Amino acid sequence: MTLLTLPSPREEAWRWSDLSALPKLAAVAPTGAVPEALPWIEGGPEGPRLVFVDGTFDPDRSDPRGVSVSPARYRPGHQPLADLAGATARAGYAVALGPDEAVAGLVQIVHISTGGAAHVSNRIALAAGAEVSVIETHVGGGWSNASALFELGPGARLRRVLRVLKAGGAHTDFVMARLDECAGYDAAAVVTGAESARIEHEVDLAGAGARAEVGGALLARGAEKLEGVTVLRHLAVGGASRQVWRSVADDRASASVAARVEVARGAQKTDAEQNLKGLLLDRGATINAKPELEIFADDVKCAHGASVGELDREALFYLESRGVTPAQARGLLTRAFVADALDRIGEEAVRAACYADAGKWFGGANE
Amino acid sequence: MLKIDNLHAAVDGKPILKGISLAINAGEIHAIMGPNGSGKSTLAYVLAGRPGYEVTEGSVTFEGRDLLALEPHERAALGIFLGFQYPVEIPGVSTAQFLRTALNAQRSARGEAELSAGDFLRLARAQADALALPQEMMKRAVNVGFSGGEKKRGEMVQMGLLDPALAILDETDSGLDIDALRVVGEGINRIMRKPDKAVLLITHYQRLLDIVEPDFVHVLAGGRIVRSGGAELARELEREGYAELVA
Repeated sequence: MTLLTLPSPREEAWRWSDLSALPKLAAVAPTGAVPEALPWIEGGPEGPRLVFVDGTFDPDRSDPRGVSVSPARYRPGHQPLADLAGATARAGYAVALGPDEAVAGLVQIVHISTGGAAHVSNRIALAAGAEVSVIETHVGGGWSNASALFELGPGARLRRVLRVLKAGGAHTDFVMARLDECAGYDAAAVVTGAESARIEHEVDLAGAGARAEVGGALLARGAEKLEGVTVLRHLAVGGASRQVWRSVADDRASASVAARVEVARGAQKTDAEQNLKGLLLDRGATINAKPELEIFADDVKCAHGASVGELDREALFYLESRGVTPAQARGLLTRAFVADALDRIGEEAVRAACYADAGKWFGGANE
Repeated sequence: MLKIDNLHAAVDGKPILKGISLAINAGEIHAIMGPNGSGKSTLAYVLAGRPGYEVTEGSVTFEGRDLLALEPHERAALGIFLGFQYPVEIPGVSTAQFLRTALNAQRSARGEAELSAGDFLRLARAQADALALPQEMMKRAVNVGFSGGEKKRGEMVQMGLLDPALAILDETDSGLDIDALRVVGEGINRIMRKPDKAVLLITHYQRLLDIVEPDFVHVLAGGRIVRSGGAELARELEREGYAELVA
């Protein structure tokens, strides 16, 4: 397998990324050891379930119910890692829905990486009015590299929750989404455990009245480097977008978010909001937050906010004065901090699962 | 129960408490009065273990244990409760979640079984009812959007749930109207007026002491107790003010 030339942190768009470990991770042979328990979200509406092991579809552990598993091929030139996935992936999920079709239940996809590099390239194409809800969960080590092309026809609706719950290794994730008139895309991520992760979105709100929400919770500790990168392009009138990111960094870790909104000439009545907040649990940790706006229309509403802080000492003492242990108090306040990003997940069982994912991380922080 | 001996404490290097000695036995209610800046709130915070309040001299024991060696949550688990003058707002943490975590942390520190969500809610509802607070407050974020009076009644709900041995109540009567004052005062009597419990009541005003009758009244001025007496001392202060004592 050939690795393309990896982007360097000297490039502005990659300055907070750490890709240096990828060649070494890719060189390790996968063990193929799949854990007994897979991180399915139970309690929600039942739907297709797909398992990929080291970038290969695992039919024995899957129940695809019509979701196909051929890798998507798309034109290169978007982003080097996505190009790599697009060129070399052996598998990926593909959802294609006709007008007003909907997949019954949640589409759950579990990617297990047992070592080496696992590339998947995915595609969702929704015709007018079609609707689907997808949950992708990445576990294991190694380097998992996922790219996806989402095409939403007029009035189509896609909800995607990305859970990166790795035990080390790296995860890179690139989504290109194109939204036609009045289409809606809701993306939320919870990221823990990877030594490095980059969750990237390029969303074109191409049709009038399209709506996109992109955000998530990045939870970093040790020497982890986690990153959310979003470019939202408002290309037509009346689009709405919202980005809510909550970054938490402990120890020497870094959590970074670069969120960019572009409003094209003619994209009047755009309503865009960027809300980036960081929480430092240790003075040695790093939070980066970069909201960017580029506006070429004159009748738009673009709000942007970025802040970085520490846990409120008054609140910690208040909780502890009632008997809550210092570790529990930190956990409660950290959970409250990420709530804005996770509360946007509409399906209750999925939201609860993401809170539980974050809760496990807080539990670890509490030792 | 609580024994304070020659307690000196400083905040930001500035001495505030300058030798307080006080013994509180089970079954007693002690009121601490005194002008602003005399160190009343500092005393409350030192007893609860607030970071930044540095004890420079003296000792405090609670049930024979060195209180000053313990973390705030350990003091709470031993049965000490601080009613805050300004209860802290904590967005994003529900009152129920906070109090259940607190109660169960205390129970597990004492080697008791944790309460189920159902058992907790029943207890919490009873306490909220007793203090005329809507059940719905349990779902709201801690103290967020509560009026001043609701916050103080909320403190009493917490006290009722946690059922402490010693309650240190820092101006729990401030910001209350007459009706709320009665509800809070009666709450203190109902929860804490028991032979195995004690209260240290910090207040400026006689009106709370009309409802919660103290066994002892102490006047704090310049970081020291300058006078102690019975309930009649509070009435005397109400009439004559602190001027003569502080002078």
